[in-house]
Amino acid sequence: MLDGRLSLTTPEGVSLQLTPAGPYLRAVAWLLDFLLWAVVCFLLRLAMPSGKLGEGIFLLLLFVTYWGYPIISEVYFNGRTVGKRAVGLEVVRSDGLPVGWRESTLRNLLLVADFLPIMYATGLVCMMFDLRFRRLGDIVAGTQVIYYEKAVPRATPLLAHPLPLPFPLSPDQQRTLVDLFERESRLPLDRMAELGSIAEPLTGVRGTESVERMRSYVAGLTK
Amino acid sequence: MKQVQFEADNAALWTEIGAILDGSQQDQRALPALYRRLCQCLALCSQRGYSPTLTDHLQKMVGACHRRLYGTVVERPTTLMRWMLVDFPCRVRAEWRLLLITCLAFFGVGLVVGLLVWYQPQWAYSFASAQQLDQFREMYQPSRIRVGRGGSQGDLMMFGHYIWNNVSIGFRSFAGGIFGGIPALISLGLNGLHLGVIGAWLSRDPTTVHQFWSFVITHSSLEITGLLLCAMSGIRLGLTLIHPGRLTRAHALYSASQTMFPVIVGGSLMTMFAAFFEAFWSGSGAIPIQVKYAVGGTGWALVIGFFLFAGRGKQ
Repeated sequence: MLDGRLSLTTPEGVSLQLTPAGPYLRAVAWLLDFLLWAVVCFLLRLAMPSGKLGEGIFLLLLFVTYWGYPIISEVYFNGRTVGKRAVGLEVVRSDGLPVGWRESTLRNLLLVADFLPIMYATGLVCMMFDLRFRRLGDIVAGTQVIYYEKAVPRATPLLAHPLPLPFPLSPDQQRTLVDLFERESRLPLDRMAELGSIAEPLTGVRGTESVERMRSYVAGLTK
Repeated sequence: MKQVQFEADNAALWTEIGAILDGSQQDQRALPALYRRLCQCLALCSQRGYSPTLTDHLQKMVGACHRRLYGTVVERPTTLMRWMLVDFPCRVRAEWRLLLITCLAFFGVGLVVGLLVWYQPQWAYSFASAQQLDQFREMYQPSRIRVGRGGSQGDLMMFGHYIWNNVSIGFRSFAGGIFGGIPALISLGLNGLHLGVIGAWLSRDPTTVHQFWSFVITHSSLEITGLLLCAMSGIRLGLTLIHPGRLTRAHALYSASQTMFPVIVGGSLMTMFAAFFEAFWSGSGAIPIQVKYAVGGTGWALVIGFFLFAGRGKQ
């Protein structure tokens, strides 16, 4: 299917579906992290006592936050810095497992290489040519940025009189039909009626009447 | 089987797994067996064309279980020790050719430029401005060293400065190495050139020569070696990118990074220790110059001995 998903087969023979994240969202996440870092550094600078002692501690903290923050948050907070959390991304290993120290350190050190020559040009070009949108650091460390998929609450069964299908449908067609009614609350009524008219070969009627007929078929499929 | 019946049959299994995943069920020993049944549920669900939300729900649960089962980090408390004492020196020895190249890029450039400045001092002005040279001469006047920094608070400031500056240079050299090694070599050459010019310039002046070299030698064994090793691991990645051998480029890069990782960690740890020495010990005016030379010489001997002999026969 052309849905941009990456399918990894596990030892149990099931496939894990990961959706690689593209350059735009990753840039937004980076920008958020950078702004957060800049604000924190500014506040630290204000909070430090003036003089050489304060400057020394400030430089130490600068070092730890600049190089350590992405690594620590990826290792201890499920591959998600604050910016990634905000836009719904996470870092995993290429095999879908959480990143460890080695992977996280390598990919974050190589951020410097991805930055060259200006504004992450290398990283962007690399993402364009890679099928999974990996930048140089991701390829070297064997990691991957994917969408973090939230668990959605499951739909309640339809309240309709179940009807058998007039003729057999393939599993994919059945799934499309069921999917339509699970997304029903997000579609306008006119659009539903329009879709009902399109489904005339299946139901034999048009408009809302056709939608109700399809609802009964779906109830028959799931009940 | 209708979907509703399927859901009812398996609801108990799914809630049990859910309880383990969200942590409300402490005993996780049942998870592998439950996970296998869950995989079967998912397979049935997609085969029978049940609703996409149910398939997605099971898919997510399978993903979470997979992470829980296979992503568990085994506690290995001695890994870092083993890396540093065995893998690190062994990998460095295995890459001795590259180390030689980095040494040439740093010490070779430093020596050539240093000799040039030593015999033809006017050349110093082509590499550094007169103001800079004066500043360095001022910095290494006897009796100036301590006063210029302002006691122990000044030492801490310099510590922060060295950590931020030197370790970041090491990290940048590593990352820059991936472009065929060229940026890393340029960075090494420039650092060597700087050392050569300043070293030769200050050595010509009898008042600063011992102040400067006694300051430099105490921590240079750790600092310069750390920088060379960081750059070396970067250059290894760069060479892998150019010449991946029988693997694809991505695979070759991945495996090279896995083998070089202890070297990067070791190199940056060395630079951090060096920053500590440099800030709190090298600049101290209370320690006689002879002691500094002796300690610095011992440091170099230890570092060279470590990379020659450590970890032999334990790989």
